[in-house]
Amino acid sequence: MLQAHSLLWHYLWLAPHIYSLVLVALLMHRGFHRQYPVFCSYLIFASLEGICLYVFDISSRITPNTWWAAFWVGTILEGMLKFAVIGELLHHLLRSWPSIAKLGRNIVSGAGGLLVLLAALAAAYSAPDNTPWFVSGAHVLLQTIYLAAAGLIISMFALAAWLHIPWERPAFGIALGAGLVWCEHLAIWALVSGGIVRNKGWHDFANMGTYHFVVLIWSYYLLVPHKVASPSVQEKNPSLASPLATETREKEIAPWNRELERLIHQ
Amino acid sequence: MTLAYFLVVAAVLAVVSLFYLGISQDFQVRSDANLAPRIQPIDIEAFRNLMDPAEREYLRRRLPGGEFREVQRRRLVAMAAYVRTASQNATVLIDIGNQSLSASDPQTAAAGRQLADNAHTLQVNATYALLRIWAAWLWPDFDRPTITILNSYERLNGSAMLLGRLQNPSAPVRISATS
Repeated sequence: MLQAHSLLWHYLWLAPHIYSLVLVALLMHRGFHRQYPVFCSYLIFASLEGICLYVFDISSRITPNTWWAAFWVGTILEGMLKFAVIGELLHHLLRSWPSIAKLGRNIVSGAGGLLVLLAALAAAYSAPDNTPWFVSGAHVLLQTIYLAAAGLIISMFALAAWLHIPWERPAFGIALGAGLVWCEHLAIWALVSGGIVRNKGWHDFANMGTYHFVVLIWSYYLLVPHKVASPSVQEKNPSLASPLATETREKEIAPWNRELERLIHQ
Repeated sequence: MTLAYFLVVAAVLAVVSLFYLGISQDFQVRSDANLAPRIQPIDIEAFRNLMDPAEREYLRRRLPGGEFREVQRRRLVAMAAYVRTASQNATVLIDIGNQSLSASDPQTAAAGRQLADNAHTLQVNATYALLRIWAAWLWPDFDRPTITILNSYERLNGSAMLLGRLQNPSAPVRISATS
């Protein structure tokens, strides 16, 4: 079952990319691409890349070297799009909160810097391989990209959790799916680059299966309408969120902010 | 290879956390009507006294070195307790503000957004303040000079926060025992 070119293998390689294209078409029909243009571009590119690589793989006219060249180009371009998606998600997360927007961007950028250092360290300590450089190099490249991308997504979740920043439903769905698939890919490529797993078929199935699952997660979050919160909370307790009540609380925050800033800067 | 294992463990933990987060976000039933009582009023005057540099200087002059450090550390622990409570209050206020974002009344939504934004500033300040307090706990003798440019920022920040605020005589929830 878990063999290359088995029926499941064909399905798992092709199906998520076809579903992604259908998802993008539905999202564009709803005008979603105007809100999340980078994510839509990423989905289109990743799907077309996956389908092209599949066709190259089963075609007898394409040599392995050509396949690997296409894989390298696709991986690098897709990697750049992944970081652009992270930037888009961060923008959506922080755009409504001017007081923490700069801090949030600095924290995620700082995390990015640390992740690049860690990725360089992981690449330097990757286990030597007796395969051609473009095969072992691709494994290290994938480990590097997924380490940085997964780390950045996790740092965004940590930032949102620390400051209780509410996610927009689409941004949350995209970030959740991306986080899951990139973390799983990181684990697999770290095993491969570290020489712990070599020439095993199951890791392809794990990667393809996870991506398939994540496309379904994206479809759920982006297509299924959000359950509207019951207004009963505010109806039961109108003082909780009334403008007057919130202004009163704001007035009480101000002296605390001043005292804490004085303490910080003493 | 050790680094590879570390990355695998970190990635697996992240996947499990994300799964948990995804499930908890989607099936969460909020009981936010009980948010306001979670706010613990704190005495801002007592906090001011604790962080008063003049009082600290007085203690330093009056007490022998070892005793001063011990007393100063106790004062810092008390300060940290105040700051932690302020931080917890900020979290509650952020949740109250976030909750009103979906309100049908635009004025309520805007007020909620403003409240949450200011509470974010308080949360960030509380985190910095805690770091500063724990640094001072480690080195009670260490004096950092006042940075005047940051004091100007403080005044600017205070003015900006007060700007455009409406007066309201009622105070349904207080986060300070005195203000």
